[in-house]
Amino acid sequence: MYTQLLPVLLVLSVAVVFAAVFLGLSYWLGPRRPDPLKETTYECGIPPRGTVQIRFFVRFFLVALMFLLFDLEAVLLYPWVLLYGDFLSAGQAAFALGEISVFLAVVVVGLVYVWKKGGLEWQ
Amino acid sequence: MLETLQVNIPSWSDLGYWRPELTLLSTFLVALIGDLIVRGRRPWVPFTLALAGMLLALGFAVADLGEPAHTVMGSLIIVDGIASFFRILFLVAGLATVLFSWTSEEIMGVKREAKGEYYALLTLLTGGMCVMAEARDILMLFLSMELVGLTSYVLAGYMRTSLRSTEAAVKYVIFAAVSSGIMLYGLSLFYGLTGETTFVGIREALFANPPHPYALLVVVVLVLVGMGYKIAAVPFHHWAPDVYEGAPTPVTAIFSVGPKAAGFALMIRFFYTTLVAGPEAAGTSNLLRLVDWPLLIALLSAVTMTYGNLVALRQTNVKRMLAYSSIAHVGYILMGFLLLTSDGLQAILFYLLVYMLMNLGAFLFVVAINNHLRSEELTDYAGLGFRAPWLATMMFVFLISLTGLPPTAGFIGKFFLFKAVLAQEWYWLAILAGLNSVISLFYYMRVTKAMFFTEPAESDGAAAPLAIKPLEYVVLAALCIPTIGLGIWWGPVRDFADQAIARFNVGI
Repeated sequence: MYTQLLPVLLVLSVAVVFAAVFLGLSYWLGPRRPDPLKETTYECGIPPRGTVQIRFFVRFFLVALMFLLFDLEAVLLYPWVLLYGDFLSAGQAAFALGEISVFLAVVVVGLVYVWKKGGLEWQ
Repeated sequence: MLETLQVNIPSWSDLGYWRPELTLLSTFLVALIGDLIVRGRRPWVPFTLALAGMLLALGFAVADLGEPAHTVMGSLIIVDGIASFFRILFLVAGLATVLFSWTSEEIMGVKREAKGEYYALLTLLTGGMCVMAEARDILMLFLSMELVGLTSYVLAGYMRTSLRSTEAAVKYVIFAAVSSGIMLYGLSLFYGLTGETTFVGIREALFANPPHPYALLVVVVLVLVGMGYKIAAVPFHHWAPDVYEGAPTPVTAIFSVGPKAAGFALMIRFFYTTLVAGPEAAGTSNLLRLVDWPLLIALLSAVTMTYGNLVALRQTNVKRMLAYSSIAHVGYILMGFLLLTSDGLQAILFYLLVYMLMNLGAFLFVVAINNHLRSEELTDYAGLGFRAPWLATMMFVFLISLTGLPPTAGFIGKFFLFKAVLAQEWYWLAILAGLNSVISLFYYMRVTKAMFFTEPAESDGAAAPLAIKPLEYVVLAALCIPTIGLGIWWGPVRDFADQAIARFNVGI
């Protein structure tokens, strides 16, 4: 029924068999002489210290959130620019411009809000 | 060279059909700025703004009731009968919640912060729910769900210093993230199967080349997961009891009716448009048979109502008990989806409206009692029938309506649902629902027994009458009178639902 998918299955099975054979071979034939230095985590020559689970200052979270917000705002402007030509030829350029101004105004209100609430200060 | 999408060019004139939503969204911004100007010291400013905005939006929604269906924002949004129906439902629920929040100690207590933002967010939540009922494109579907979701997480965690409230918000976010992810996967597969993003386009593509039954089944189930989470159907309900218990009670009140009804609105529009061409054409679609839709929904409904009712039996916290009871009600409402017929749709719409009145009433009663007793435990409800007789009597009405006994609106709502199920000859489901109603009688009446037949504890002041605020009486009476009234004279509301169905647009 799905004969056109047969090549995909073939590729998948070749990949699995190939990987299994070579992993098995290196496990079976390869010499193993561990020492303490070899067993440490590799970290560009510097010996690793402490654990990876450290606590972040909660302010980073707010900064990341605001970065995401204002970054996405810029990203959303690109599709608008691409579609503006269509609006122009349909005689609706004023509407498109008005719409994006509303969007930007909302974002500006957000900025004012964050500023006034002290979200931009690093206490 | 980038190829741009073919868009249906929107224009200013579209926005005229979107006045309620525009009013709500601008009220949100104005209330936020207003709160900044008064530096959060005068919560009545955002409260008044939110109230005025909602009243204005309700006025617009009522004025636009008779309008023919129109699309807004290109083809993303449609304002038709179903949308107008749900707009009114959400705005009434929003108004009642805003008014009641003003009396609530959990929101307005001395220690609380950001009271202004609370009212602004409630307005945004209401606006988001209206958009959910109007989405006719999978992009808008997801965007509106996230708008409602993001606002809900903040509202659930409103009591920042309360551990319970913070826990509720975190649980809500995590469950929402997982189920949104699953639903997005389903929606992307829908796009993959059909190459369309509008609901109508999806249906046309599915009807033109029916996909493999298993492919369609997987996709439908994945989408149902996301929507089932929103309406809190078993087995996607795990967030509901904890969130409902932890969130401030007025917020729980709107959660239990607003986003839930919005989830149903989304389900109605999505499945009635993609799987069948509207409620009138339900019998002619073979997609329903392809995915075994009736069995899927019957099982979901049966599990949801039975689980909700059985677990509610064991609860000692009234708020948590009502949370499980709202899960059970989702099970009843799901019965209307069995065959996507217009009978079922009528029953769903009528029941949602009735459920909004009675469930909101029951939760607001919990708010009123919590203001005085600082407790939601059933044992502390002892003797409330003597300490606050009018309030307790109204709670009694809400409880018998939730059980589904005459002469209340809940009885008529259940009657329509049972009629729709029996007309499709799904007898076992109807019998199970009947048994469930009997089970629910026990835990609803347990509250009544505590209020009227148990003496209050013999400690200081535990038997004194409560000083109920006038606003609490007014809002509860405004919900209680139609709860009884609709049990006796339901014609106008049934006609209202019928008009919504008649103007339900699955084309354009």
